[in-house]
Amino acid sequence: MKGVNLSLNSGEYFVVLGPSGAGKTVLLECIAGLHRIKGGEIWIDGRDVTGLPPEQRQVGYVPQDYVLFPFLNVFENIAFGLRRRGHPESEIERRVKALAHLTGISHLLHRDPRSLSGGEKQRVALARALAPFPRVLLLDEPLSSLDLKTAKYLRMELRRIHEELKITTIHVTHNQPEAEEMADRIAILNGGSLEQVGTPEEIFFYPKNERVLEFIDAPNILECRACRDIGQGLKEVDCNGMTLIVPHDGGRVSRIAVFPRDVYISLSDPPGPRVNRFRGTVTDIEPWGGIVRLKVDVEGNRLMSEVPFDIFKAMDLRVGKEVSLILKLRGIRVYEGESDRNRGEVKAQL
Amino acid sequence: MRGTAGERAFIWATASALGLLALFFVGLVVSMLAYVDGRTLLRALLSEEVLFAIRLSLVTATLATILSLAVAIPAAYAISKGRFPGKGIVDSLLDLPIVISPIALGTALLIFFSTPVGGLIDARVLKVVFAKPGIVLAQFTVVSALATRLLKSTFDDIDPRYERVARTLGCSKLEVFFKVTLPLARNGLIAAFVLTWARAVGEFGATVTLAGATTMRTETLPIAIYLSLASADVGKAVAVTLILIAMAVSALIAVRRVTGRIYRI
Repeated sequence: MKGVNLSLNSGEYFVVLGPSGAGKTVLLECIAGLHRIKGGEIWIDGRDVTGLPPEQRQVGYVPQDYVLFPFLNVFENIAFGLRRRGHPESEIERRVKALAHLTGISHLLHRDPRSLSGGEKQRVALARALAPFPRVLLLDEPLSSLDLKTAKYLRMELRRIHEELKITTIHVTHNQPEAEEMADRIAILNGGSLEQVGTPEEIFFYPKNERVLEFIDAPNILECRACRDIGQGLKEVDCNGMTLIVPHDGGRVSRIAVFPRDVYISLSDPPGPRVNRFRGTVTDIEPWGGIVRLKVDVEGNRLMSEVPFDIFKAMDLRVGKEVSLILKLRGIRVYEGESDRNRGEVKAQL
Repeated sequence: MRGTAGERAFIWATASALGLLALFFVGLVVSMLAYVDGRTLLRALLSEEVLFAIRLSLVTATLATILSLAVAIPAAYAISKGRFPGKGIVDSLLDLPIVISPIALGTALLIFFSTPVGGLIDARVLKVVFAKPGIVLAQFTVVSALATRLLKSTFDDIDPRYERVARTLGCSKLEVFFKVTLPLARNGLIAAFVLTWARAVGEFGATVTLAGATTMRTETLPIAIYLSLASADVGKAVAVTLILIAMAVSALIAVRRVTGRIYRI
């Protein structure tokens, strides 16, 4: 960790996003007091906790894979922290049952934790962490070991529980869609230092540098000047000379983003409606695993497109060749806001 | 799918070695059973001397095991979880009592009690040399390192994240040890207790050197075998040997059942 300076708002759902090895778990362990820091300070609720042992920090911690105590049943797992802090038996029972109800595991209280499914274990671990009234909740990749369907459902569940309890939460993940869906704000952590902190939209539409851009799957971001409502939930926008139709019901569009995988390339103009189609010239070709990334110049805008390697071969694409581009309508994401607002650091990088 | 001729030969060779080894040990037990008739065996088993040896072995081995575990549990925890200079050397030294001949350990103990300090302890604090406490001390000396080794591997196997989570849930380091580490180590503790106890029951070399081989005084089961053979009472020697084998087999079955439960998750 170097130069990490983070300040969370009370009750915020804060997601730390980064590739594996970025230092996400270490960051959580530093906050929990499980990892001794060589320099710097950690404050929770206006209190300097840097020198405090973990048991005095009042931090709820849900580690990866949940590590439920196998020698205790679900009820006792949740009650563990309350018992250590000497709460009376009647209060323990009330609190455990309330949390079990909140997390939807009331029917599992007498079960052996080893017999639970991944999603159930996650809920028990969450209830266990929440039981002793923590000031901050730390979630280490809470959804990464679940199947996709369960993970998607639990994203909503985690947000619902957060809405109810309003507890300041730090959730670390390597999963960008998960971060975008859940976070009030996101911090991008890479190689032990912070790349960018902001709302999901700020990160997505104003990535601070190439590393952040790459981490959010390198969308093409275009600044829009004119914006006209054409009805049916569509807007016509002018982005540096490119006229585009975008799906948007709200106000003025200031930026749009489209992933390279949603920019289709063909040699000749294909049949179909003439919406979001352009002609451009290939300026760069870069193999990228099983795909090829092409940079195409369209009226001075540089758009990136991804083409599967075999299709690239069949099309015999070369630098300087003229191609047709289609920007997939449903793949276009829009940012509503002021395009000319003061974003010194962002603009400088872009 | 059948393997090649070479693979089959290899499987045959390994299986044969295993079969021969099993046959060898079964043969030893059968030969003992064939050597003495049932009545001689029963008489020897119920003799006052053998019953004394059984009682003495049970009491001393249990005491030595409790003492060993009392030291081995914290020691094994320290060497498993602690970080200190010279840890590797301490870890290697722990193996010494396991590989050194017990008679050498007994000799070292005997020499210690010949020194002024040892002599004072023997005379004023507790009579050890050629006395029953000597049996417990000799057994403790031989088995404590084994207990530490067994428990270290138990503690090594415990995922440190359990202890970390417990810290965030309000446990101090000491509470984590008693509330999380020991319950997680439960099966390993039972296995270590049984194996250490079985080894203590069978201890001979250090015991005979420090506590001597006196009939009906320091006569544990292995010493009873030694004394019976010395006085050519083969019936008694066989009876006691069979008792020791039965105890060892029971201990191993118990460990198998306990540790089997550990890994069958």
